[in-house]
This record gives sequence, C-alpha cells and structure tokens, in this order.
Amino acid sequence: MLLLSASIAAQGRQGGAPPTARAAAPIDLTGTWVSVVTEDWRWRMRTPPKGDYASVPLNDAGTKMADTWDPAKGTAAGEQCRGYGAAAIMRVPGRIRISWDNDTTLKIETEAGTQTRLLNFVAPAQRGEPSWQGTSIANWQFAGGGRRGGGTSRGGSLRIITTNMRAGYLRKNGVPYSANARLTEYINRTTEANGDAWLVVTTMVEDPQNLTTRFVTSSHFKKVPDGSAWSPTSCSAS
Amino acid sequence: MNPVRSVVSAFFFFVIACTAVPASAQIDFSGEWAPRFWEDQPERVPGPELGDYLGIPISEAARQRADTWDASIQTLPEWQCRPHSADYIWRGPSNLRISKEVDPVSREITAFHAEWLRSVDRAIYLDGRPHPPADALHTWAGFSTAKWDGDMLTVTVTHLKEGYLRRNGLPRSDKATLIEHWIRNGDILTVMTIVTDPVYLTEPFVRTTDYELDLRQQVPPYPCGVVQEVDRKKGEIPSFLPGTNPYTTEFATRHKLPVDATRGGADTMYPDFLAKGRTQPIVPPTAPAAATSPPGIQTLPVRGNVYMLLGAGGNITVSVGRDGVLMVDAGRAQMTDQVLAAIRQLQGDLDLRDRPLGSGAETRSSVASRNTEPPAKPIRYIVDTSADPDHAGGNEKIRAAGRTFTGGNVAGNIADAGEGAAILAHENVLQRLLEPEAGEQKAPTDAQPTDTYYTDSMKLSHFFNGEGIQLIHQPSAHTEGDSLVWFRGSDIIAAGDIYSTVSYPVIDVKHGGTINGVIDGLNRILDLSVAEFRTEGGTLVIPGHGRLSDSADVAYYRDMVTIIRDRVQAMIEKGMTLDQVKAARPTSDYEPRYGASSGSWTTDMFVEAVYTTLGGGKKPAAAPAPARGRK
Repeated sequence: MLLLSASIAAQGRQGGAPPTARAAAPIDLTGTWVSVVTEDWRWRMRTPPKGDYASVPLNDAGTKMADTWDPAKGTAAGEQCRGYGAAAIMRVPGRIRISWDNDTTLKIETEAGTQTRLLNFVAPAQRGEPSWQGTSIANWQFAGGGRRGGGTSRGGSLRIITTNMRAGYLRKNGVPYSANARLTEYINRTTEANGDAWLVVTTMVEDPQNLTTRFVTSSHFKKVPDGSAWSPTSCSAS
Repeated sequence: MNPVRSVVSAFFFFVIACTAVPASAQIDFSGEWAPRFWEDQPERVPGPELGDYLGIPISEAARQRADTWDASIQTLPEWQCRPHSADYIWRGPSNLRISKEVDPVSREITAFHAEWLRSVDRAIYLDGRPHPPADALHTWAGFSTAKWDGDMLTVTVTHLKEGYLRRNGLPRSDKATLIEHWIRNGDILTVMTIVTDPVYLTEPFVRTTDYELDLRQQVPPYPCGVVQEVDRKKGEIPSFLPGTNPYTTEFATRHKLPVDATRGGADTMYPDFLAKGRTQPIVPPTAPAAATSPPGIQTLPVRGNVYMLLGAGGNITVSVGRDGVLMVDAGRAQMTDQVLAAIRQLQGDLDLRDRPLGSGAETRSSVASRNTEPPAKPIRYIVDTSADPDHAGGNEKIRAAGRTFTGGNVAGNIADAGEGAAILAHENVLQRLLEPEAGEQKAPTDAQPTDTYYTDSMKLSHFFNGEGIQLIHQPSAHTEGDSLVWFRGSDIIAAGDIYSTVSYPVIDVKHGGTINGVIDGLNRILDLSVAEFRTEGGTLVIPGHGRLSDSADVAYYRDMVTIIRDRVQAMIEKGMTLDQVKAARPTSDYEPRYGASSGSWTTDMFVEAVYTTLGGGKKPAAAPAPARGRK
C-alpha cells in the first residue's frame, strides 16, 4: 500500500491518466548546450596518441585491444563513428541540442559526429539492431524520493539506461567498450545567480569485458542563447 | 493480540508512515566517499606538469604568475603543511568523509562536515546563519552555507584564502567565491564546483568531480610537521624572473600539443578552439577600479577582548577590559567621534559586574552591586604604529577622552600627568611629529607621544586586560618609526602599514622607509607567528589596511613583495633606468590584486620606492683612489 501510495504521488496526479513524460518533466533540459572542456583536455580536444589511456580502468583485454587501434583501418571499414557512440558522445567536445521528439521521447542531437540519441520514456516494442547510440530508456528522478507536494515540482534529474550499443571507443584512440556494455547516465540542471544554466551529465559505463570496474565521468554543458553557431561535423576515426 | 487493537495499531502506523516524511526529505550525503580518478588522473595523482594551463579560463596575470612559479617554494616552512583549498580539494588525491550535524530537538540537519586526508574540518551550514563580514579571517576551507535545490545541495563559499587552480602555480586569489552543487546518484557523488575570481579568471571555472561510496574506507590522520627542507638564506623566496623559466613549453613539447593551447585561457575551454583559435585577445593585467569601503566604523571581534575597527583610515586594534582600553592607532582626525562611539559601544557591551573566577575576596562582597552597571573603564593607551595621519591623526582627540593613572611616592602636583591617555610610540614618531618635513604641519602637543622608546622593543610594564603587550620596532620599513604591537596572550599582532591586504606596501621613502625593511618586517611577523593547524589560524595579524589575517596570508604577501623586490633588483643590476623598470612592469601578475593607477599609492609609486631604496639609478661608486701612504 505504501509503495502504491508513493507511486501515485510520483505521477503527480490523483486519479486520471498519468501525465506524459514531457508534462511531468521536473526540469527543462531543452535547448542548445555547449560542452565546456576543463577536464581531460588532452584526451578530449584531440585524438590522443595510441596507448594513452590514462584514467580509464582498462583490464588486460581492454588494454590489448586499445593497443591494436588503427584509425586507417577504421576508416577503411566505415567504422569512423566508433568514438561517437552513446558511451562516449557526451564527453566529445561540441554543442548538443535537446528537444522533445514527442511526448515520450527526448532527443539529443550532437554536433560531433552528427549523432542523434533518442531517450525513450516508454520502452520501445522492439529494440532493433545494435547501433552506435543503442537503445535508451529514460525516467525522471523526482526530488524528495518521488514525493511531490501540492502538485508543484521540487526539481529532479533524468536517469537514462542505454544498452544494445555497437562496440565503440570510450576515447577516439581505440579505448574500447564492448557491445555488452551498459551505460547509466544522470542529467542534472543548475541555474546560477549570474543567469548561466548548466547541465551536469554523470556517465557510468559498465563493461566487464574491457574494464576492471565501472568507468564514471561527469561532464558539464553550458546553455547557449540559441543554435546560431550550430555546426555539425561528421565522424572521424583519427 | 486483540485483533481490533491490532488493526488500529496498523492503521496508526500507516498514517504515521505516510505523514511523518519530513517536509524536506533530501538526499543524505553523509558517508565515506572514495575519489575515483577516471578523469585527469595524471594531473591529480602524480601531479600536473609545469606549463599545463589547458582548459582553464585564466587571466594574463595568472599566466604570468604561473610562468614565474618555482615548485621549490613549497619547501618554505610557511608552505609545507598547507592543505588544498575548498575549491581544489575535491580534485585532489584524497579520501573524503562527510558527516552530518543534527539538531537534537528538530532533528533537522544543521550542517554537513567534509574532511579529506589533509584538510581542515570544513563545515557547510544549513541553519540559515549569515556569512561573516567581508573583512573577517579567510581560511583554506572558506565559509560555507548551503540550501537545497530539490535533491541537490547548493553551497556558497566565501572567505577563501589564496589557493591554486592547478597545482603547478596557477593561482586563485582570496577575492574568489565558490559555488558547489552536490549531486548524489545512488552510490556516486558528483560535485560541480564553480569558481569566480575577479583577479585570476576571466570566466567562471567549472569542474565536476566524482566520488564513490566506500563503506570500508577510513580517512587516516595526517599530522604534518614543518621541517627545514632546504638550506637557503633567510628571506629567500624561490621564483623565476619573468622570461627565464625554461620549463613553460616542456609540457606542450612532450605531449605534442599546440603551445598556444597549453597557455590556457577561456577560449581553450570551448570546442571551437582548435578550429578557430583564440577569439578573445590576451589582455594585459591592469589594476582594479578603486574599491569603496562602506561608510562608518565597522567593528570586528578578533579574539578574546581584542577588536578591530575598520573605516577610520588605518585599521585600529582595540583591547577592552577591566583595565580599560588600549588602542593601537587612532585613525584619522576627522573620524575620532565615530571611533569613540564604537569604543563606547564595546565598553558598554562589556560585562564588568561578574568578577572572574579566582578574583573574589571575602571582605568585598559583590552582592550589593549586582543590579547596577559600573562605569566604563577609560581609554588609557594609544600606541602609534607610525606617525601617518591615517594612523595617528586621531591622537589628540582620543587622548583627551582618556586618562592616565599616575601617582606614587613623588613630590609636587602630578595631576596634569593624568590628563588624557598615554600615547606610546617609537621615538622616531615623536621626532617626525615635532619636526615635520617642509609642507607638513607640526602636531599639537596633545597629539604627540607621551612615552617613546628607542630600543628594539618596549613592553608595557604590567599585564593589561590580562596579557602582556609588546611594541617591536621595525627599522626602515614603511617609515623609520614603525612598531609592531604584539598582544602576547591573545596572540595578535597589529602590523601597522608594514602589512596591508589592499595594496602593495606603502614605502614612505621620505621618512626612512625601504623595501628591504618592509620584507624584514613581514619576516619578523612570520617569526613571531604560530599557526593553529594546517598553517592557518593561531597568531592573528591585523594589517594597517584591509582584512583580518593570519600567518599564511602574511606569507603570501611576503612572497609577493620579495618576488617583486628580486625582479627590480635584477633589473637594476642590468643597469635599467627607473622608466625602463616601470615599463617592464615587474608587478604585472599581482596588479589586479594589489595595483592602483590612481589614488595615494599607485603602482608606479611603489615601483619607484622599491627601485630607489634598492639603490637604483645611482652611479656605481668610483674605484677608490690608491693609497697615498708613505713609501
């Protein structure tokens, strides 16, 4: 009964159909945002040298695979987008554009690699073939453990679970994640006194095939007034 | 069990369970958190490389300062036990423990406390208390208050000591403020830090750092003792002269990075940098606009019965107690009414009724007087740290408001000697007031020191308000008559104009001031000081102008003044003229913090004073003539 009560409260309605994900959003993530690269600069702002996998908890198998990286082969094989998959893309410098694709799907478009991520609040009937961006299931994490008083939101965050990805690179220099990797992300939004708005994206990659432990990073994006500087680029293997 | 009672109990349990959720059922951040170095591991654990300024929105002043930074400075005694500051420590290689403070009645969380391996206890208050006045002591942890934003905790940090943005000499000033957002996602803690620094940053510097809950973690003790790590001449401060650091491009070369990128700056944070290069020009450091102080006198408690009065010109230190009032400096003449009002307020706040333990006497019952307030004790001493009008200008009027107790086994009428407070100073102060330079006014008799000393120091011959007070002469520093005043029980040093937090030191060359005297004075303060913990607190230092400080603040200032002295000295040795030295801007990297282009003490005046008192501009002495002795 307690669980049921909490669940109803979480939906923010007493009776009737639950609100759509869009209507229930406790925070507004939409708009154009630019990544601000104050961390891991030399591994993000350029393709790092082969063998430079500092900070990544690679296991032996992952290390061996990283040491075989050959960007020319990747290009020849049409695999240029390996460094732009869901497990890596939020760490690749560039602007992102977030919008509602429909009432239950949030869309993230990236300049880097011209990728599109669809965050489904309702699980798709079919997962489809593995892809760079995989299949993402999203849900809102309401502040206060889901309790919302008086019908007003007290904030929250977005949680995204992504699987069904094609094997890719955590870094463009061949630091691998496998097709079995599972990605968990949390997106929070802040608004500062000077008017700046920021997204904080916490990314957790679980991939026992290549990693000794979870690989956790957090990236931040600053909201930009408009999309006028939007300039998508294609994937590049090097 | 009675089935009816059972159902009723279950119902009440349900109701309580549903309604007992606190209005603010926020995330609990307390616990043991292990740092995970999945970002910037080479920078954070082994340490950053010299010349790596990538991705930090530094100003040109910060860049210049880092370029002249010598890692050996960390072997100085004043540097050895410093912890990371609140903004950097999240990024440092250390375990974290967060504990919570709970009000026993309301059971609300009133504070979180964060501690790392080598840190001070950092309290983050949630009880709504205000931040201290701007001129209160700054610390490594700063002063933090927080509020909930949903499940996110937003922390505001002020009162930070100078720190660093990266452990390779990139400075963060004590003018900086910090906003933090604490976010907990299951067993991962993500903390966003936003540093705003008008001195060394051109844009807010934002980082996000992750910790993982670790139930078996223990933050071990970290005692730190200062040792003599390197034998060096007293007062020597390791630093590269501008343009001589051979290591600034080593990082770029080693990692095959564009040198321009490694020089940092706001442009380098944005994805367009590599494609478009710099879009923001590098702006040479300039002095800040003149700061305006709030009108009137501000009173700041320092320790025990010692207070600091700000706003009267120079800072005034006041000891208030059973023996009366002792003031170090009297402020400007035109501020004396307000100064006296502030002192009266302090006297009024002092409860003189309750005798301290141990002072009671069977023959002197205090029962009868419990419902009356005894009169305030008089102002008895004024100590002049120098003869400057912003320090000694109020002498005459404040002296008149005070009283000296005289008497003893003497003959004649000594009543006149009891009129007014005594004024203590080095004899050179009296000399200057008696024989002013051309254009200066002779001080009235009642503004002149009544008791002077000419030796290295002078002690009050007895405790005053429970402690010994010592005047220490610092020759040829700000002037020729400077005194440091040391409250030996409270462990407070009133530094006069040898130390300031708002400008380069004022060197009054006309009245005997020299740069080396100032540096000696600053080192003397450091010699007298003992830090409380992790090189902060302990001995407190009241500057001639600016905010309350401790030895760590003085050490930063001493380093700055010494580094500038060494630069000017090197220029003099190259034969540079004063104009050439000024054009070379030897103070450039400190300019946004201490410089001034207008007002009574400009950067040019400071550089000129340094240059002159180091002997700049003098022709080398002619070779001595051969002796003409008899053959």
